[in-house]
Amino acid sequence: MSRSVSKSVFAVACALSLATSSAVFAQDAQNDPLEPLNRGTFAFNELLDTIFFKPVSTVWNAVLPKPVRTGVANVFGNLDDVFIGTNHLLQGRGKDAGVDFQRVLVNTTVGIGGLIDVASTQGLVKGDGDFGQTFGVWGVGSGFYLVLPVLGPSNARDTVGRGVRIVSDPRTYATPVVSYSLTGTEVVQYKADNVENANLIDSSSLDKYAFTRNLYAQRREGLVKAGREAAR
Amino acid sequence: MTSLRLALVAAFFGLFGGVAVAQSTGAEDLVRKMAVEVTAAVRKDPDIATSPAKASALIEQRLLPRFDFQRITQVAMGRNWAKATPAEQHQIVSEFTHLLVRTYSNAIGTLKELEVQVKDSRSNGPSDVTVRTLMVGRAKPVSIDYTLTSAGGGWKVYDVTVENISLVSAYRDEFTGLVSSSGVSGLIAALQKKNTK
Repeated sequence: MSRSVSKSVFAVACALSLATSSAVFAQDAQNDPLEPLNRGTFAFNELLDTIFFKPVSTVWNAVLPKPVRTGVANVFGNLDDVFIGTNHLLQGRGKDAGVDFQRVLVNTTVGIGGLIDVASTQGLVKGDGDFGQTFGVWGVGSGFYLVLPVLGPSNARDTVGRGVRIVSDPRTYATPVVSYSLTGTEVVQYKADNVENANLIDSSSLDKYAFTRNLYAQRREGLVKAGREAAR
Repeated sequence: MTSLRLALVAAFFGLFGGVAVAQSTGAEDLVRKMAVEVTAAVRKDPDIATSPAKASALIEQRLLPRFDFQRITQVAMGRNWAKATPAEQHQIVSEFTHLLVRTYSNAIGTLKELEVQVKDSRSNGPSDVTVRTLMVGRAKPVSIDYTLTSAGGGWKVYDVTVENISLVSAYRDEFTGLVSSSGVSGLIAALQKKNTK
């Protein structure tokens, strides 16, 4: 009881510190007051995908052998596991955090600096965790839908979460050249990895904007729900 | 008096529990059967991954009869379902079915390297069950839940939830938006346009 009270006090405090008005973070799957702006950003991202990311992804997938691509994805994934573990700790999921940090340990050593995902073959399953999810587990609502340039679907809460991630990511503090090329490589790698999904959304949606918005809201809500259940 | 009531309650729940177990088993069996049949077919004939025609044929033969597209469409349309005439409803169901079959024809080939494990199921009420499965074979297992109803006799799937994303809900926003901006006829036109692309 007292634990849940202190948890909700904490959540309220967080919500208040994140935004002056708590209404900004009201829970609503279709909360999209910025729809005209978002549609504009969405169209821009679509254009960027068509003229830049799709061709680059195609070349990326064609030129680099699969083991190299997997290796690149694994290195970024290994760094991500550190953040996943941190967020699991913040959510009170000690057991899950244990798995995440074991993954980092195994992959960094046996997996040669994260190039090979040895942990997954040892039953250490990769988790889902980010700061937006952590805020959600603490009780912060998703807030309005927001399409970010290049990065795509988000919402008020998850955008703050992304900000926290950027501030706490060591890559941010590398020299600009290193920082941008690492981030660029990660984005291209991610896009190349998700070409199949993007095609699936293309072929199945009537209004891609509304479809994507809905998928994003459902996915994030599911992750927060899963986080809460695991924290119990 | 109290003990009699207790006994009645126990009997009721015992009976109800028995029914729930029986209906869950039926739904689980159907999902398992679909998974086994489709993965076996995809593994046996590698052309399915590359030939949309072969993939659609497989879906039409093995999956379509086990899905309740009328209900899927109805739920996806929500309140707007009542705005459509029976002829329009029929047209929407058929176009939407076609769209889903086409979409998943392109994706079904990936089942070649994957395996579906039926985990468990829970009863959502009389003749309504959700069967939880896990698709394994890639670095990260994917959870897929099938919600089935036996209202029309025999189990039929009416929603698929992938990693907490419900297929039916995914279409609800789109359908609602299209109907409010261009009416039921606009929705039909959009579906037809998508299907002839």
